[in-house]
Amino acid sequence: MPLSLSSEQTRKILSNPSFRELTAARARLRWGLSIVTLLMFFGFIGLISAASSALGKSMAGGAVPLGMSIALGMIAMVVALTGYYVRRSNTYFDGLTQLVRRECGR
Amino acid sequence: MIMRILLAAIAATVSFSAHAQATAVVAGRDLNWVAIGMFLLIVAVTLLITYRSAGRTKSKADFYTAGHEITPLQNGLAIAGDFLSAAAFLGISALIYATGFDGLIYALGFLTGWPIVLFMMSERLRNLGSYTFADAASFRLDRTSVRLVAATGSLVVVLFYLIAQMIGAGKVIQLLFGVNYLFAVVGVGLLMIVYVAVGGMQATTWVQITKALLLLIGGTLMALVVLWRFDFSLGRLFTEASRVHPKGAAVLSPGGLFAEPVSAISLGLALVFGTAGLPHILMRFFTVSDFAGARKSVFYATTCVAYFCLVIPLFGFAAMVVLMPDASFFNVGAGGQFNKITDLIGGPNMAAVHLAGALGGPILLGFISAVAFATILAVVAGLTLAGASAVSHDIYGQVIAKGDAPEAREVMVAKIAAVAIGIVAVGLAITFENQNVAFMAGLALSVAASCNFPVLAMAIFWRGTTTRGAVAGGLVGLFSSLLFVVLSKTVWVAVFHFAAPLFPYDNPALFSMPLAFLVIWLGSLSDRTARATAERRAFDAQFVQSEIGIGLSEGNNALAGVAR
Repeated sequence: MPLSLSSEQTRKILSNPSFRELTAARARLRWGLSIVTLLMFFGFIGLISAASSALGKSMAGGAVPLGMSIALGMIAMVVALTGYYVRRSNTYFDGLTQLVRRECGR
Repeated sequence: MIMRILLAAIAATVSFSAHAQATAVVAGRDLNWVAIGMFLLIVAVTLLITYRSAGRTKSKADFYTAGHEITPLQNGLAIAGDFLSAAAFLGISALIYATGFDGLIYALGFLTGWPIVLFMMSERLRNLGSYTFADAASFRLDRTSVRLVAATGSLVVVLFYLIAQMIGAGKVIQLLFGVNYLFAVVGVGLLMIVYVAVGGMQATTWVQITKALLLLIGGTLMALVVLWRFDFSLGRLFTEASRVHPKGAAVLSPGGLFAEPVSAISLGLALVFGTAGLPHILMRFFTVSDFAGARKSVFYATTCVAYFCLVIPLFGFAAMVVLMPDASFFNVGAGGQFNKITDLIGGPNMAAVHLAGALGGPILLGFISAVAFATILAVVAGLTLAGASAVSHDIYGQVIAKGDAPEAREVMVAKIAAVAIGIVAVGLAITFENQNVAFMAGLALSVAASCNFPVLAMAIFWRGTTTRGAVAGGLVGLFSSLLFVVLSKTVWVAVFHFAAPLFPYDNPALFSMPLAFLVIWLGSLSDRTARATAERRAFDAQFVQSEIGIGLSEGNNALAGVAR
């Protein structure tokens, strides 16, 4: 099995505090945002089968139906969520990654 | 040299085809010179791109990944160009034209896959692999068997998707330009073979970028024309649409397509997780230089796809208002009767194209037709490249030659594979011309969600995954999704003409995807071999590399040909 890191290097990096901070924070963000995304989409599908006629009604004062407004909101949310992940990675995770690389002597 | 001659031959064939078009106009429709001019321009530009890329495609890194030198913005556009097929542009606007709100949910499903690709796949994939997603899946697992499963999954997805696209392409080009189906399919097949075999990833990427830009310009232009027609009032658009549509106000609320929760969730799963398992999309993450580039390119791609999810519904609803009251857009029956959806000239898929003609005259019609044509070319080229890479890098390079194949020979195998896949796709598209193939694109997504995605996700996220589990789960996911589709209404009843389907739902993902995960889990958990122990232990090194990238393993040759 071809692997690039010796077990000693691997152990060293795994116990590095910056690496632990990086991976723990990124895992929280990754799974948190994934769950939000999936809940949003499948929640919407659930809402459709539960209350489809209500979604066709317009909100007070507007001519755009409620379901359509939710769908448009979801499109904006998807861009916002990916944007947030990228921003957080650029400003926080990338710095930590560089730090880990330096600390582990590469 | 041979390739250059081939290029010249293609150029000659294409100009001949344009001549043939001029004489083969569909009865009753004027020849659209804007469309034909744009079409020729697109062919000329893409062939020029291919010609220029040919000189720069020598090593395998060049062929598979354009030397990892594509920028994130370019790659983001190319991903959008790869992903937004004619099915998305013409198909979803047609779905909205026919059903209203339901089509929008379909578009949302397509879009929702993207954050998942970003959060779970893009960065780790770039850190662990170099050419295909099978690199990452087999990083710490058995090179031969896991790769074979991943490559088989890729090829099945690519072939089904490709056939669906080719048949769609043939029909669309037949309608747009009035050439016959056979000619259209062979023409598209020839062009895609040339892009891929001659120009590799470099040419494919630039064809996709060109297409994405054309689609952005065309989409925006048409959206503005539509909004102008309705005084920039969405309320007016929706009110008028519900007035003319046979379904009435029901077009504004979700209906039949998603009313039954099991089918809806199953389709949703295939749309969301299928995207995260499409080999031609995953492959695009290797064209950038590092994981930060992979991540940024998904953001650009997501923004692009989201923009289309906003404008495509405009086309669908505006088409209802503009086309439905006007009998000249329909095949009118003897008694002056026509069905406002199925009798649209060229079928509902032509809704966006007719709308362009109705609102912007022959110039906009020609432009949108040409954009639809470019859309088709970019998608089939991306698919062909992904299929060729699965054959040459995974099956030939890593499984047969065990990573020792001379680079020039592997690139040659890739080019031959591209030609072969192109010929097979053209042949199948001709064979299945009159079959109901709507299930094929859905099947491709289901296989991607049930085989590729579970194997890749479990290999990179779960320490416990072993070769035995991954191989068993991947195969179960692949064959169960195929079997369920064959037994469902779309094949069992519509193709084989049995009375009742044996599997009650159209989309198998809700069943086949969890089944694949379950088998990977059980197969790995019960694996007590020494190899399994070593594979679990190797997860640590894989984890480190997946998190902080390949910059760390500078100068290490153990991975030569696998991860570098």
